[in-house]
Amino acid sequence: MNEAGIYIHIPFCDHKCIYCDFYSIIKFDSVKAFFSSIKEEIMHYSEKFGNEREYKTIFFGGGTPSLSEPSDLADLINLIKQNFNLVPDAEITMETNPGTVDLSKLCNFKEAGINRVSIGIQSFDEADLKFLTRIHDKNGAIHTVFNAVEAGFENISIDLIFNLPGQTPEKWGRNLEIAGTLPVNHISAYSLILERGTILNKMVLNGEVKIQDEDFDAGLYEQTMQFFRNRGFKQYEVSNYCMPGYECKHNQIYWDCKEYLGFGPSAHSFYNGKRWWNISSLSGYLRAIQKNGGIAIAGEEVLTDEQFKEEYIMLALRSRGIERSKIEGLIDEKQALIDRLFNSGHLTPEGEFIKLTEKGFPVCDEIVTELIS
Amino acid sequence: MNKIRNFCIIAHIDHGKSTLADRLLERTGTITQREAKDQILDNMDLERERGITIKSHAIQMEYKAKDGEIYTLNLIDTPGHVDFTYEVSRSLAACEGAVLVVDASQGVEAQTISNLYLAIDAGLEIIPVLNKIDLPGAEPERIKAQVVDLLGCKPEDVIPASAKANLGIDEILEAVIERVPPPKGDPDKPLQALIFDSVFDPYRGAIAYIRVFNGKIREKDKIRFFAHDKIQEAEEIGILRLLKTKTKELEAGNVGYLISGIKDVHETKVGDTITHFKNGAEERLPGYKEVKPMVYSGLYPTNTEDFEDLRDALDKYRLNDSSLVYEPETSAALGFGFRCGFLGLLHMEIVQERLFREFQQAIITTLPNVEYVVTKKNGDKIIVDNPDHMPSPGDIDYVEEPFVKAQIVAPSEYIGNIMKLAMDKRGSFKNQVYIDETRADLSYEFPLAEIIFDFYDKLKSISRGYASFDYEFIGLREADLVKLDILLNGEPVDALSMIVHRTKAYDWGKKVSEKLKELIPRQLFEINIQAAIGTKVIAKSVVKAMRKNVIAKCYGGDISRKRKLLEKQKEGKKRMKQVGNVEIPQEAFLAVLQIED
Repeated sequence: MNEAGIYIHIPFCDHKCIYCDFYSIIKFDSVKAFFSSIKEEIMHYSEKFGNEREYKTIFFGGGTPSLSEPSDLADLINLIKQNFNLVPDAEITMETNPGTVDLSKLCNFKEAGINRVSIGIQSFDEADLKFLTRIHDKNGAIHTVFNAVEAGFENISIDLIFNLPGQTPEKWGRNLEIAGTLPVNHISAYSLILERGTILNKMVLNGEVKIQDEDFDAGLYEQTMQFFRNRGFKQYEVSNYCMPGYECKHNQIYWDCKEYLGFGPSAHSFYNGKRWWNISSLSGYLRAIQKNGGIAIAGEEVLTDEQFKEEYIMLALRSRGIERSKIEGLIDEKQALIDRLFNSGHLTPEGEFIKLTEKGFPVCDEIVTELIS
Repeated sequence: MNKIRNFCIIAHIDHGKSTLADRLLERTGTITQREAKDQILDNMDLERERGITIKSHAIQMEYKAKDGEIYTLNLIDTPGHVDFTYEVSRSLAACEGAVLVVDASQGVEAQTISNLYLAIDAGLEIIPVLNKIDLPGAEPERIKAQVVDLLGCKPEDVIPASAKANLGIDEILEAVIERVPPPKGDPDKPLQALIFDSVFDPYRGAIAYIRVFNGKIREKDKIRFFAHDKIQEAEEIGILRLLKTKTKELEAGNVGYLISGIKDVHETKVGDTITHFKNGAEERLPGYKEVKPMVYSGLYPTNTEDFEDLRDALDKYRLNDSSLVYEPETSAALGFGFRCGFLGLLHMEIVQERLFREFQQAIITTLPNVEYVVTKKNGDKIIVDNPDHMPSPGDIDYVEEPFVKAQIVAPSEYIGNIMKLAMDKRGSFKNQVYIDETRADLSYEFPLAEIIFDFYDKLKSISRGYASFDYEFIGLREADLVKLDILLNGEPVDALSMIVHRTKAYDWGKKVSEKLKELIPRQLFEINIQAAIGTKVIAKSVVKAMRKNVIAKCYGGDISRKRKLLEKQKEGKKRMKQVGNVEIPQEAFLAVLQIED
């Protein structure tokens, strides 16, 4: 039976961070309605797809899911367990913001069935945190990690962001050093993305904030990859590093082009060759669920063979590598380019896979474009 | 014949020529206001946008004058750019008078003067009109003084008007009747009719616009063209109202059209004379010239697969434009395309634009160049219209390039700037004459290659638009010319080669390699750009390898958006041209035109 994952979008946040473009809402008056609607959505899809796949993961993203009551998440997890073919050792992740949880709340989440936390630290530098409008400080961030350990989580990830305005290689290096001392076995380190519609993007357009150029960004990225390599972490995707065996199984489902169901406003699903996405506004989502008996789809697409192949190359190259047998014709057609990239050290063969090297990761999208052009 | 007046309107761009034409047509009842699309005479979109008239047209009006008589007025429109000087001169030859329109706030400008001189050369009676006198910025008295000064006419000869506000229209019409002489000519002499324009009609073939000077032409007449001696039948003749109106005959003095079973405009050449097959005139009317291209450029389809489509489009376009010549050629960088000859840069832009608009052809053009005559050491002479075909330096005895004689008319305060510009462009000064106390006429000789790119624009900018400029070909001259090649990672890019004067080669080499560095985006591998003469590298620059192009996050909700982004990038790459391992954006092929010197 094919594997699949489940994503649940919890849209509530206590404020909006300047760089964030996820769908989130800072009013809490519809929390109740939200949980009842999402249950309805889960029930609707369980009838259709609950037993067709082996569900391996649940991922609570947001928003700030850790603002939720642990019992509300427990209800959802139980509902899924009862109505979907969820494997007993499923990876159940919750995105967690430092400053929203204390030890006892983390214990309750653990109790509710969460077994992996991804902590949105972003930086240990107070000035960076202030700039990013995060509510926590350095110590709060570190405490949250230790509290998670104490609560019994064995699978802990933290998020960091580099190429922040004013960041130097030295400052970023200090962030990495601190991260390296923490009891975590997974780290996501993202280069700052300027998303349209964010406050940060406006600030950049206004000239209030200056973003460093491509070469500077590349330098920090190289520094990051080297740091984690030296610490025994494995880089298993463009921005993701882990101790062996601690890859995020849920995210690997995306990168392996496997199937997933997404519940909640703005969540995306990919199932039976079709991708669909939900209405992003909470009120629109709630209305639609009520009206259509658990459905809140805003749009959908059926991938053509070519699009599927493009997505495969795009996702596989940034993670596991491209499996030769899956793109045979293309490899013949692009042999000269691939050879050149082997020789230049951008790509490396690994068994049946063609993988990016540390030299290749920074230009991943360029290589993908060359391969699909 | 005494009741016919043939005239044109000449003006600087935007001085209101087209609006005035509309008013004349309305006033004479040729069109009603409802029928009047704005600016009737300029009926190509492109003309309207650029505010220029590319092809000339004509229209006939009936006007009841104050003397109670009804007159036939033929208004002949003229193109207004130096590329089309010959066409202008033929349109003027069909007239006896010209209405000179000057904007009452802008005053006399470059085109006013150059067109006026053409009209005076053609012996036309000039009727000066001060237009837009109702606008707040108008200075009718000051501008009138300029016009009087320019023409040497009396102040009361200048007619104040506003085409927009319908002022002075009757006065202009009366002046045309009174001042423009009726056509001369003898209806009983053998036929001589001048083709002053010809257009292509997809159903009727070539339609010649003609002015009959002597004799008369009737339907079904057997006629002969001096340019090619072909015998044709006059299938249809008529006059040009808002629509073509068939008539039985056209007599000396009148203007009209002729359809004669000729497929395309190449056999109805502007400036040619038509006469009868039997008892025809022995001589053609004066002033006929074979129009030859002055500027050459490669035209390539953006997508190499579209070559056949481009050929079809050019074949069709050519039916309408007798001055465009083209031949297939191949470029290692750009694939299959055509080497095309144009009258000048504006003509080149127009062709490119019309191929895009009317035939949906997306085109890459290479740097325009002139035609060179190369004498090889073995005595062979070859014509080189593509820099890439230049023989290697060791085989060349000497190279000749086309020269032109240029007249520059400008207010005297700009002479210093103009002389400096002329020197930069390898011009040799010949003569300077003061037309009046404020305006000088400078004579120069230039290599044509130096004035085809940006000379006119520069001249206008250093003289605030007051300098007028005209040139004519005077012959070939030997010059120390070299071929400058551009190499990307050691591979020459044929479409980027150019022929330059040796003294300018280093400077150009440096500027072009720097410009290309700006225009070629960073790629996976470093790109070495070199400019070389033969095997000698004279300038280089480097596009460093790309260091980062990857989106940091790609999770479930990002995938679709990200794939679409990559598809866009893929489309972008498709538009680039691959030379060796390097991808070159299309705008790089015209890089040289963007260089400021």
